[in-house]
Amino acid sequence: MSVVARLIEARAARRQKPLIAFNAATLRLGGKTIIENLDLQVRPGEFLCIVGASGCGKTTALRLAAGLYRPTSGAVTFEGEEITEPRREVAIVFQDYGKALLPWRTAAGNISLALEASRVPARERGARIEALLRKVGLPGHADKYPTEMSGGMQQRLQIARCLAQEPTTLLMDEPFGALDAMTRQGLQDEVLSLTQASETTVIFVTHDLDEAIYLGDRVIGLLPHPGRIGIELDVDLPRPRDQLATREHPEFLRLRRQLFDFIKATEH
Amino acid sequence: MNRAAILWRVASVLVAAGFIAAWQLVTNLKLVSPVFLPGPDRAWAALVRGFSSGDLAGKLIGTLEHMTYGWFAASIAGIALGALIGSSKMMRAYVAPSLEFLRPLPVSAIIPVAIAMLGLTQGMALFVIAFGAIWPIMLATIHGFAAVEPRLYEVARSLQMSRTAIIGKIALPSALPDILAGMRLSLTVALILSVVCEILAGLDGLGHWVLLSARAFRSADLFAGVILLGATGYLTSIAMSLVEQRLLAWQTAAR
Repeated sequence: MSVVARLIEARAARRQKPLIAFNAATLRLGGKTIIENLDLQVRPGEFLCIVGASGCGKTTALRLAAGLYRPTSGAVTFEGEEITEPRREVAIVFQDYGKALLPWRTAAGNISLALEASRVPARERGARIEALLRKVGLPGHADKYPTEMSGGMQQRLQIARCLAQEPTTLLMDEPFGALDAMTRQGLQDEVLSLTQASETTVIFVTHDLDEAIYLGDRVIGLLPHPGRIGIELDVDLPRPRDQLATREHPEFLRLRRQLFDFIKATEH
Repeated sequence: MNRAAILWRVASVLVAAGFIAAWQLVTNLKLVSPVFLPGPDRAWAALVRGFSSGDLAGKLIGTLEHMTYGWFAASIAGIALGALIGSSKMMRAYVAPSLEFLRPLPVSAIIPVAIAMLGLTQGMALFVIAFGAIWPIMLATIHGFAAVEPRLYEVARSLQMSRTAIIGKIALPSALPDILAGMRLSLTVALILSVVCEILAGLDGLGHWVLLSARAFRSADLFAGVILLGATGYLTSIAMSLVEQRLLAWQTAAR
């Protein structure tokens, strides 16, 4: 076997081994079963979207993967190792950017928080911060406080802080839920280009079905009370995705129909 | 500053000037005996005389020392204890009832206890001032630490920040507005208790000066001391506001 073939095979093997795996994960909080027997594998480099009616446990599933919760029974693993605490290679983008940013630190200071935690020497931070701000489309806003920025800018800033961790995995909890449609579309494309280039694995929770299909390689629909998988769809749409062409693609419309029917059925 | 703000400032100065003029008028007309109430002219003269002889400056420094030492001790202890209690739900539940008993206790009630235990000493004054001034700071710190946005602790966890980093970079800056507000309240408490301790224990300071002047019917000196105490309270409060504005610049950035 040639070296190239072996490399390709090794890479394929790595790809098949799940990065994050839920093995019969169950979570009970205050006597209520939030998630029951969840089995789910996330492949390295995959963009996985989780949708579902509100209260179906999609945010909870994300928090299990983040290590912010531990399952009552079953296990959630990262590279085969049980997740007990948040880890540096996994970054979390919270929905409420207004609460997740430090209001007393400027944009640069907020990014610096992650660099300080990763023990990046002070003299290297400036250049790193500048590069990250440029990456998320906020050049020249280093000295602004979060309260001086729009919601879209604040969410970009939170994403920049997460990227400062140099994560292999991004966990995003309805990150664009509070933003207007135009800002949301712009950020969708930016997240795609940021994560596809670096082959970052993403778990993306949203209640917007179109968004899930537009972004994802795979979409999981959860059933509520208790949360469990109700539908699983592979999204075979060409990349790079395009806000107009992708959304008009017959396959997009077919998946959209399927997902809407599923959600509608769960609402009773 | 805009025009309206300037007008308000001018108006407030005019009101103050009006009070002084009324005071002068009352004394000129001898509505109150000059033995008890000197005019602003005589009070001012006493103030100048006191400073040029050096007596008053010494007393002022004495009071400032009592006030600052007590206030600093209260601040350090109050912030440390408040942080400890405020950052743990369990501690809050255990300690809160005791605090609720101690807090409304009039500080004047513990002065005899302090005198009995520590004597008429500087140490007694420091203890009494610190004991009185600690409450606003500690309670504000407890509140500040208890009210830290839980999401920020999750951010800290996901960044795997150390415990000291979480306190220094998340909890303390988040609680800082509350802490500073508490420290500002305590500043007044510290000044009041400094004067009380000086009067009761005969410690060198403006309180003692005021007491002696009153006993000797030197009403102009008495008023000079009172004016100086008022100015001390006013100026320290302004200094504190400036520090607050500087440290909390981020709060006003958006507005």
